[in-house]
Amino acid sequence: MLTLIQIELYKIFKKWRTYIGFIAIGVLVPIIHTAMVFEGAHTLNFMTRNIQQSFIFVGNLLNGYLVSYLILTSLAVHIPFLVALVAGDLLAGEATAGTYRMLITRPISRTQIVTSKFLAGIIYTHLLIIWLALMSLVVGLIIFGSGELLVISNQTVIIFEKNDILWRFLLAYDFAALGMSVVASLAFLFSSLVENAIGPIVSTMAVIIVFLILSAINIDFFQTIKPYLFTNYILSWRLFFNTPVDFSELIKATLILAGHIVFFFSLALYIFNRKDILT
Amino acid sequence: MKLLICLFLVLVQIGFSQSKDPDEIINKVVTNFNRVKDYQVDVNIKIDVEFLKVPETKAKIYFKQPDKVHLEAEGFAMLPKNGMEFSPSSLLKNDYTAIYEQDIDLNGVKTSIVKVIPTGDQGDVILSTLWIDQKIQVIRKVESTTKTNGTFTIDFSYDDKVKFPLPAKIVFSFNLDKMNIPATISGEPDTEKPHTKNKNSDSRTKGKVIVNYSNYQVNKGVPDSIFEEKNNKSE
Amino acid sequence: MNDEKIIEVNLLTKHFKDLRAVNSLNLNVFEGDVFGFLGPNGAGKSTTIRMLLSLIRPNEGSIKLFGKSLQKNRIEILKRIGAIVEKPDFYGYLSAYKNLEILGRISGKEISKNRIMEVLELVGLSKRYKSKVKTFSHGMKQRLGLGQALLHDPDLIILDEPTTGLDPQGMKEIRDLILHLSKEKKKTIFLSSHILHEVELVANRMIIIDKGTMKVEGEVKDLLNAKKLKVTFETDDEEKVKNLLSQSGWGSKLESNAKTVFIFSLENNEIAELNKFFVLNGIEVNAVIPTRSLEDYFLKITDEVA
Repeated sequence: MLTLIQIELYKIFKKWRTYIGFIAIGVLVPIIHTAMVFEGAHTLNFMTRNIQQSFIFVGNLLNGYLVSYLILTSLAVHIPFLVALVAGDLLAGEATAGTYRMLITRPISRTQIVTSKFLAGIIYTHLLIIWLALMSLVVGLIIFGSGELLVISNQTVIIFEKNDILWRFLLAYDFAALGMSVVASLAFLFSSLVENAIGPIVSTMAVIIVFLILSAINIDFFQTIKPYLFTNYILSWRLFFNTPVDFSELIKATLILAGHIVFFFSLALYIFNRKDILT
Repeated sequence: MKLLICLFLVLVQIGFSQSKDPDEIINKVVTNFNRVKDYQVDVNIKIDVEFLKVPETKAKIYFKQPDKVHLEAEGFAMLPKNGMEFSPSSLLKNDYTAIYEQDIDLNGVKTSIVKVIPTGDQGDVILSTLWIDQKIQVIRKVESTTKTNGTFTIDFSYDDKVKFPLPAKIVFSFNLDKMNIPATISGEPDTEKPHTKNKNSDSRTKGKVIVNYSNYQVNKGVPDSIFEEKNNKSE
Repeated sequence: MNDEKIIEVNLLTKHFKDLRAVNSLNLNVFEGDVFGFLGPNGAGKSTTIRMLLSLIRPNEGSIKLFGKSLQKNRIEILKRIGAIVEKPDFYGYLSAYKNLEILGRISGKEISKNRIMEVLELVGLSKRYKSKVKTFSHGMKQRLGLGQALLHDPDLIILDEPTTGLDPQGMKEIRDLILHLSKEKKKTIFLSSHILHEVELVANRMIIIDKGTMKVEGEVKDLLNAKKLKVTFETDDEEKVKNLLSQSGWGSKLESNAKTVFIFSLENNEIAELNKFFVLNGIEVNAVIPTRSLEDYFLKITDEVA
């Protein structure tokens, strides 16, 4: 299995489309950093305008942590797209290339093929998030320095002490990786159904966007179905930036997301195992 | 006869005490405070406000007469605006009318209540009530009503070991009703339950900030340059 | 030819919606055979091959390879098979060498760098081993396809139209390679084609399928023996010819007749003899038409499809 995963990762990283994600983040994040250099103080002012009426504060609140937090918040749609771009091609790409014939006539099971491709996709997703973390957190800290983190959540202003922040980010990125793994799994499932990668990529994004829109509509019916939409839990990384951290809610979100991953993967495996290879 | 004289003297005493001069009371406090030319002090700030979750912070406050104040911290620190500067002269910097109300026992200390009504339209304060400890010529408590920030109270505690009229602890209390509750960042949908939103806006919970002062360095000289730096970051 | 059955297919059936692509097909391939699997386009050849290689699941019937059920022993069986299925496709963004290396790593055997180069040499691609496959011509991809089939030295080699897109020289090279693998390396080869002549040159046994059904099966030398011909005699007297045939040994050579037209299965040297026999016995022979029966049949069905 390890050999298969190595081969799949090799194939993934030999394709130019894989680098779109890394380049996009490598360009987008510095753009945000640059914007924050010029407009950061103004942004911070805006965020704290209400408290400023009654309080005076000192400290480097415009720091790498705040910028990283804002970046994580704002990349909710971009990252899923970059993940789907690769995950949607994992199975469909072989069909397009006609290489299934070569692969499946090898003495390896279809289960091994699907599993190794899936795991390679998950590894790619995690690498993308690690890259995001490095670009936003590490570079952010270098440019803006360290300091306390100001977060506004549920109409509460929270300030986290310097030494109380990094672990939250590490777990938040971890959780973000889990959320993006759900996206990868969904794209992977769609990939098992068709013979062209465009379909899975577009379908995955359509599902995410529709779910996000439905969750945002403030009508009772949609609010009732909101807890059943996985996109609702992808954003739960923000729970780490609360005090106290609601671990029970996080565990619930983790289990739901993990459940989705298992479900999407199992379905893809079932479909692929039963499929007639006609390409 | 003796009885009559005694009675008369008592009545005169009462009469005097009932009609204390508020301006005099205040001026004594100001004069006492003016013994302090400058100071720097270490502060420990604890914020206890429902919509603020801020860790206990350490900072330094610098003060120089008549009204220069500077807050400095290694990391982050925040203080209510109205609690930054509590010297009597700052409380009384604009024109005002003072009325002596009565003497009252405040936490076991005898204090005189003086009401201060600023005249003219400058300043945010509409009315202040001062509890003045005439024994050591300090203000024990202030209650002020402002135009924009509701009512706040400052309770002062003093340490006998400090020879100057500088508090060891102040408790700054305010009414959350009038304080604007901040919106979320970047407008993304709230992942939290919506009902807390309503709870806050109807809430009459009091917020508190407790500041402990220690290690006063009084009249040791504070250079003006400290106050010239970009003062407290209010932007 | 050995008695060990390498491929044993029984009542194999596959339908796609309304179409019966393969219909109760039986075939047997023995060890050492070069087995020709013939049929026009759309006959069900590729579907059958895909079922042999577990790319497609049959609806009915059974497949045994090396005496074992394919369904139950798939991985073990596939270690011993090398195959090209239709047009060989590779990872175009990788080099020829890299493609073979990847496929080699999942072939169930240790494939060394030397072995890869040896195979590339065998198929005439050693000079282009570093080139990305997307730069290859169709013929080169065909060769590389053969290379990946041979990489792990399989016992059974399944070739689906291996000479498609090759020039005559290339076709000859493939034929020579097949013969070498069969005679020298003692491999069993299953070769599918729609060109009779191609099969005729290399195969020892063959089957013709059409519309998913087996039509003809047997030894190539028997089926395509030039000595055995189908000869049509157009005569003038049906009764007289019938009487003559019943009294002579020529009757056993008769295949069929329609009135005065009689069809015999004869060897080449027997045509003139039979003709002489008729003439000497007063039968007028208006025409003698010899055809190689199988070629005739195959052309007929190929034409129908075309």
